[in-house]
Amino acid sequence: MQLVQLAFRNLFRNTRRTILTVLLISFSLTALIITDAMMRGMTDLIVKSITETLLGEAQIHKLGFRDNFDIDLFIDDAADLEDSLSNDPTVLAHASRTISGAIISSSYNVTGGMVYGIDADAEADLSRIKIAVESGTYLSGKPNEILIGKTMGELLEIKLGDRIVVTLTEANTGEMTQALFRVSGLLHFGITEIDKNMVFINIDEARKLIRLGEHGAHEIAIRFRNPEDAKNPDLAVFKDHNTESLESLSWLQLNKEVSSIIEMSSYGTLIIGLILFLLASLGVINSMFMSIYERIYEFGVLKAIGTRPLDLGVLIMVESLLIALISCAVGIILALLISEYTSTVGIPLGEMEFSGLAISDRILTQFHISQITELPIYVILLTMVSGLYPAWFASKIIPTEALQRSL
Amino acid sequence: MTIVIKTKNLCRYFGDNEETMVKAADQVNIEIEKGEFTAIIGPSGSGKTTVLHLMGGLDNPTSGEVELSGKNIAKMSGGELCDLRRDHIGFIFQSYNLIPVLSAEENIEYIMLLQGVKASERKKRVKEMLELVGLSGLEDRRPGKLSGGQQQRVAIARAMASRPDIILADEPTANLDSKTGIALLDVMKELNEKHDMTFVFSTHDEKIMSRASRLIHMRDGKVELDERK
Ligand SMILES: Nc1ncnc2c1ncn2[C@@H]1O[C@H](COP(=O)(O)OP(=O)(O)OP(=O)(O)O)[C@@H](O)[C@H]1O
Ligand SMILES: [Mg+2]
Repeated sequence: MQLVQLAFRNLFRNTRRTILTVLLISFSLTALIITDAMMRGMTDLIVKSITETLLGEAQIHKLGFRDNFDIDLFIDDAADLEDSLSNDPTVLAHASRTISGAIISSSYNVTGGMVYGIDADAEADLSRIKIAVESGTYLSGKPNEILIGKTMGELLEIKLGDRIVVTLTEANTGEMTQALFRVSGLLHFGITEIDKNMVFINIDEARKLIRLGEHGAHEIAIRFRNPEDAKNPDLAVFKDHNTESLESLSWLQLNKEVSSIIEMSSYGTLIIGLILFLLASLGVINSMFMSIYERIYEFGVLKAIGTRPLDLGVLIMVESLLIALISCAVGIILALLISEYTSTVGIPLGEMEFSGLAISDRILTQFHISQITELPIYVILLTMVSGLYPAWFASKIIPTEALQRSL
Repeated sequence: MTIVIKTKNLCRYFGDNEETMVKAADQVNIEIEKGEFTAIIGPSGSGKTTVLHLMGGLDNPTSGEVELSGKNIAKMSGGELCDLRRDHIGFIFQSYNLIPVLSAEENIEYIMLLQGVKASERKKRVKEMLELVGLSGLEDRRPGKLSGGQQQRVAIARAMASRPDIILADEPTANLDSKTGIALLDVMKELNEKHDMTFVFSTHDEKIMSRASRLIHMRDGKVELDERK
């Protein structure tokens, strides 16, 4: 019947209470959406900071290399592998690298570090090395170029153009070898581990120095067209290149620490969501009960003239549903308005380094369709569940008792 | 003569303790015949409301029986009782009978909606009833915009529209001034005479009770006197 109409009109009997209830629920939804958007923004920031700095979204190594960076465990024919990656439509960029431990000395000081031989052009599309050049120039392929982390540079007391000597071990033979470089650029990543320990030289030079052959590499880093692909184990990149001698892993597998932090942060959203929901649902129960108490006499009359108990219960449920629907509309609009700001201007954080990652000074909240499809459904369900008890109470009203209440 | 409602040794006691127990209805035997215009009278606390509620199946007797058109309502389930009230009994209470968010017309339609009466038939009856109670033209007003007397007339119209066997009214005029109360009773009397509707109502008011064709006097839950004029 016109139950919906009756319920709708009942909402406007005590407009102030209805508005307050609606605000309570809609603010909860808004807070939940913004929290979710913030968590997504934060996760995205962390993920980008990891994958875009150096790691890439996936890497291929010789099996066992990762255990202790054994210089002998290199991929013999990286060129062949890179060809197949070039033909893979899911892959956006890929680059071969050599990685070896070294002693790095200037005229003033000596330090240990990692020497990365990189393909300057390919690396520009894959990592932040080029962007991190704070002074000097990026690698151009000329002989004896080297990029050094700023912190290491300070330790070695060098400036651009200064000479440094890098001492390395040759693959297979284990013989020591030395080479002279001129500092062509100083890097600032904002990540201590890199700024202090890493130097980058041209890969061809590196290959010759440590005798990897023309196409040898320790690592091939990969970026996907769709970053989400990193989570898809059925992807050709992972399926085809996990062989007896090679392993192809996503960044989630390569950086277990961070992937578990991200997993934990989703529990954070859940807990905040639960608390908000609990508060909102107490509000709904309270407000529905108040509205029922005010109408006990009326419900007594309605029952006396033949309204079935179930119909009264349904009336209360419909009223709850209407409140939920209005609240969701308000909550979504509010959330969209707020995230209009927070997704462009961002929420300020202050600079921080978080478990070896440089995080920018603010979080840009991220919209996801589930925020306006899934979350409101939870809110509606919860409001309906909260409405159950008041509805049951209304259906149990005994007419003779209700009618005896003095008004 | 058809008997619409019959009570047999009807008792309603409140409280379990022998000493403090209130006998709100005590061995009440009443037969209401079709077309009667009966007033139940008596001092406050004499059991008028209790008896009307028992007759209408709103309350369960401690002992005794109520028969509505020959059917014992004590044996009915909650759902059956609910439908019985909807289809066979019209109720009018002292005040606040109407749903405040519905217009006069929608209030009158309410029980018919529960009964599943067709829309065209509903409209027809609403119009007819508004005329009968003298409220034509006020169909779109909500109760808050009607006077107490007008509200009670809408309640009568609502009760009548569902075509019950009997209308039970518990002090329908108690919240009205005496002139309006008498006018309301005249409306009831007219419906009783012209449409043969059976009314049982309770009242305190001498002027009102004088218009009844039958007076049932109650005291301490007992029928003290039952006089037909
Ligand atoms: N739910 C209840 N619990 C306990 N006692 C009750 C209850 N309902 C009614 N009574 C008692 O039963 C007696 C009869 O009450 P009832 O309401 O039927 O009287 P009444 O004749 O309608 O009075 P009034 O003219 O004041 O409306 C009173 O003594 C009252 O206190
Ligand atoms: Mg009474």
